[in-house]
This record gives sequence, structure tokens and C-alpha cells, in this order.
Amino acid sequence: MSAAGFSGSSRRLSRRRQSGRRALLATLMLLVAVASAFPLVWMVLSSLKTPAETMQVPPVWIPRAPNLEAYEKVSGVINVGRSMWNSLVIASITTAGILLTSMMAGYAFAKYSFPGRSLLFSVLIATMFLPPIVTLIPLYRLVGSIGLNASLAGIIVPNLANAFGIFLMRQFILGVPDDLIDAARMDGASELLILFKIVAPSVAPAIAALALFAFVYHWNSYLWPLTVLQGNAEDYPIVISLSRLLSYNRGALNTGLVMAGATLAVLPPLILFVFLQRFFVDSIVGSAIKG
Amino acid sequence: MTRTYRASAGIMLAPAVTLIGVFILLPMLLTVWLSFQDWSTQTPFANASFVGLDNFREIFGPTSVGRDFKGALVNTALYTALSVILILPLSVAFGLMVYQRDVAGGTALRTVLFSTYMVPMIAVALVWSKLYSPSEGPLNQMLGLVGIGPQPWLSSPRSALVSIVFLNVWQQVGYFTVLAIAGLTQIPGSLYEAAKLDGASRREQFRFITLPLLRRTLLFSAVIGIINAVQVFEPVALITQGGPVGSTNVLTYHIRRVGIERAQGGLGSAMAVMLMLALVVVVCALFALANRKDDE
Repeated sequence: MSAAGFSGSSRRLSRRRQSGRRALLATLMLLVAVASAFPLVWMVLSSLKTPAETMQVPPVWIPRAPNLEAYEKVSGVINVGRSMWNSLVIASITTAGILLTSMMAGYAFAKYSFPGRSLLFSVLIATMFLPPIVTLIPLYRLVGSIGLNASLAGIIVPNLANAFGIFLMRQFILGVPDDLIDAARMDGASELLILFKIVAPSVAPAIAALALFAFVYHWNSYLWPLTVLQGNAEDYPIVISLSRLLSYNRGALNTGLVMAGATLAVLPPLILFVFLQRFFVDSIVGSAIKG
Repeated sequence: MTRTYRASAGIMLAPAVTLIGVFILLPMLLTVWLSFQDWSTQTPFANASFVGLDNFREIFGPTSVGRDFKGALVNTALYTALSVILILPLSVAFGLMVYQRDVAGGTALRTVLFSTYMVPMIAVALVWSKLYSPSEGPLNQMLGLVGIGPQPWLSSPRSALVSIVFLNVWQQVGYFTVLAIAGLTQIPGSLYEAAKLDGASRREQFRFITLPLLRRTLLFSAVIGIINAVQVFEPVALITQGGPVGSTNVLTYHIRRVGIERAQGGLGSAMAVMLMLALVVVVCALFALANRKDDE
């Protein structure tokens, strides 16, 4: 609270500084958004260029006559439909498995007390911080020895449970009132019935978030499928087919083809995100705060 | 009553514990065991023969095996450090942009930033390899507009690793921005009100309120950032194959090449064990540092 005498002029000054600051902030935010969106915009624009345009120096930004030629050609090099289907199968089944195992284990850790609970929980959570490469070599051999290598099952089965899912489910199921569960027990409901009819609906947003995380993660996953499939092209998910587009491209030098393939692979996770981003963000915020 | 719940707990935990036990914990123990064995990945585990510390001696030795591994270790450390050093401050800056109420559009910015995290790394690598293209790529053209000469990006041993760091930062920063926002929402608004009454400038408020109260978030982000960064694989496998001159040969790529492609399972496992140990040491050091600061 300064002296009344010069508060008028200083307020005017600070208002001008305020609006200057706002303009600067708005400009910065716009720059960040443009920089962030630019690579994907470039990808889509390039997929619509003619082969000549993609090779031009200096680069062409906006295709003069946008066309879908590159998308037609992609189908001639890789089996787009089959690869997308494989990715869908891998991501969907893995997600369903993760949801089931995570809800069950999360419920047990949140609502039962049993000997060794905190030790078991700590051991499971520790695996969350283990980079996949650490277990890759023996896992490859292990999956081969049970006859699952070079198959979709080999990609899916080892990923049907993970620590992140258990952690997320436990965090949210902790918030479900015990009274609700006890009342159902009084009525003679089985534990599985309680989990699916009473607990699951009250943590539905967290389940949606986990489903989306799992789906996108396993749609995008590359290292494990590449390792376990050993060149079985029939079962390639879209990301592996996409990587083969680049080696094809080395000879033909058709950037448009690669960009068209990339656009196709990016679309499913991006569309899911646009519609359901609320759940993604809420669950990250929720798990970070509660963790 | 208690007995039934104990049985229920067993049923509820069985699927997850069995799967994680068989496909994560068992392989982890096997990795440690194999690191002391001479074993080809093409053969059953029973064919392994104990060789003591030979694998570790070899990967730190003077031969090409040792040179390649030590190179990969250094590259991974550099890559990880650079990624985290860039991502953390950017995530706080972007988090503040999204969180502030002075200028509209914060939520839209968050959406744009976070959407890159949904893009498969393979697609990121493909698209960026074209952005980096020295002649027909847009990045050098844009640099030219501001008077900076063309950069070799992925084709020079001096800049290839940093170029991969940039594309990693681009992809990941949105996720860490959301973490930063989560941390910012935890800071009570009353602290800023009190600071304003005391005449603290915006810079002082950031220095003495925001930053100290974000420390737990930043520690969490640093740990996640490190774990994510050591997993870099796609851009290397797809574009650089570890080159030029080994400058982008990072551990995940190198361990897979040795342990799977060359089938030297013992050597690859020893490298994986060293990676695990390095991570434990770094993460513990981070926590110790954060706790010491808490005491001050």
C-alpha cells in the first residue's frame, strides 16, 4: 500500500506492463503449440505430395495438388489391412487382460489384509521401474520354449498383467467406501460379483484411463513384437510394417509413401486420445498425486 | 470370515502374480544368473556353463566387446542426462503456461503437447528423419531463414545423438507437462496471496514457492524420465543403426544386438545387469539428494 499520491501513475504503469506480459505469454504459448504440432502437420502434408514434390530443394510446404496416390501405393508394399488388424488384435486382447488382472489384484491390495501384503505389493511395484531390455534375452528364450515364438500369442501373453495397472486400480479402489462392500457381503454376494457389480462402476473413469493407456501403449509397442516375431511377416503389427517401409524407401526414395504409412499408424491412438483425453490426464494427475 | 478373505485374496492375486512372476520376475532372475554363464541364446538354459565374472571382465575389457559396451554405456548416460535436463525445465515452463489464468488457451495447449505422447515412436523416428534431411528437410530451411547454416543432424557423429534427444524431448515433454500441472495444482493458492501482500515479485514467488513445492514432482519426473530414456530403441534401430561411428549406439539397441541377434546370451545378460545396477545407483542418488535438501 503505497502513498496515495503516486498510486495512480504506478497503477497505470503496472497495467501497461500487465498487458505487455500477456501479449508475450500468448505469443510464447502459440509458438510452443506450433512447434509441438509441426512434425505431425508436416507428416500429413507430405503424405499428400507428389513424389517430385517430396524431393524438391528447398522443400515444398503445401502440396500444389493434394492427392492420395501415396496411400494407394503403401498398400502395394505392405499389407496395411492385415497389419492394422494384427495391431488391433494385440492391443485389444492385451488391454482386456490387463484390465481383468489389474482390477482383481488392485481390489485385493486395497480391500483385503493378508500376511505379506506390503512386501508383495512392493515387489510388484518395483517391476514398474524395470526397463524391458533387462528381461528381454531370457524372456525371448522362455517364450520360445513354451512354443509361443513367432506368433501373436507370443506378443500378447507376457503382457497380460503389469504393475502400473495394479498400482492405478489399487489407488482408486482405496477410495471406494468399505460400507458399500460390506453391505453387499451381508446380502451374500460373492467377492467377484462385488468387484464387477459394485467396485468397478465406482472406479469407471480409472478403468477407462487404464484401458486407453494399455491400448495405446501396446498399439505403439515395437521392441518385443520385433524380437518375438523373428521375421514372421504375416503377424506384423502396423509399427513393424511401417519400419519396413523405410528400407523399401531407401531404394525408391519416396518420402510420401513413408509419411502416408506413418499417418495411418498414428491415426488410431490419436483419435482415441482426442475423444478420451480427459481420462488420460485425470489418471496421470490422480496417480501422481496419490503416489 | 478372515479365512474366506484369505482364500479370496489368493484367487484375486493369482492371475497377476503368476503372470508378472513368470514373465518379469523370473526373467529378471534369469538375467542375473545368465550374466555368470557362457550361454548361446539359441540353446536351452540347461546348456549354460558357469564362467564366474568372465562376462563382466570382457564387457569392461580392452577388446572390441568392451569398447562397444563402454561406448554404449557412455552414449546412454549422455542421452539420458540430456533428455532429462531438457525435459524437466520445459515441462515446468509449459505447465505454468497451461496452469495460469491470465491468457486463455491453456487447455488447448495441453492437448496439443500431450497428443505427441500418443504417437508411436516408430512414426516419430520416421517423420523426424525426414525433418532432419539435410537438403529437402524443413528444419535446415527454417534455420536458413534466421541465418544459421545447414546442420548435418543425424549424419554426423557430433550431432546424431543430440538429434535423437530432440525428437525424444518433443515426444515426451507433454506427458511431463501434465505431471508438472499435477504438482502445481497441489500448491495452495493462499501461499501466493500471502507472498503478494509481502510484495514478492513473480520471480521471487517462483523461486521461493513454486520451485521448492514442486520438488517431489520433479523428483518423480526425473526418475520416470531416466527410466524412459534408457529405453530408447526405435530411432536407433530404424535410422542410425548405432552410427555414425558408434555415436548413437545405446544400451537397449546394443544389448539386443549382442544378446538376441548375435545370440551371445551371457554377454548380453551381463550388460543388462550393469544397466540395472546403474539405474539403482542413479535413482538412489537422486532420492538421497532430494532428502538432503528436505533436511536443510
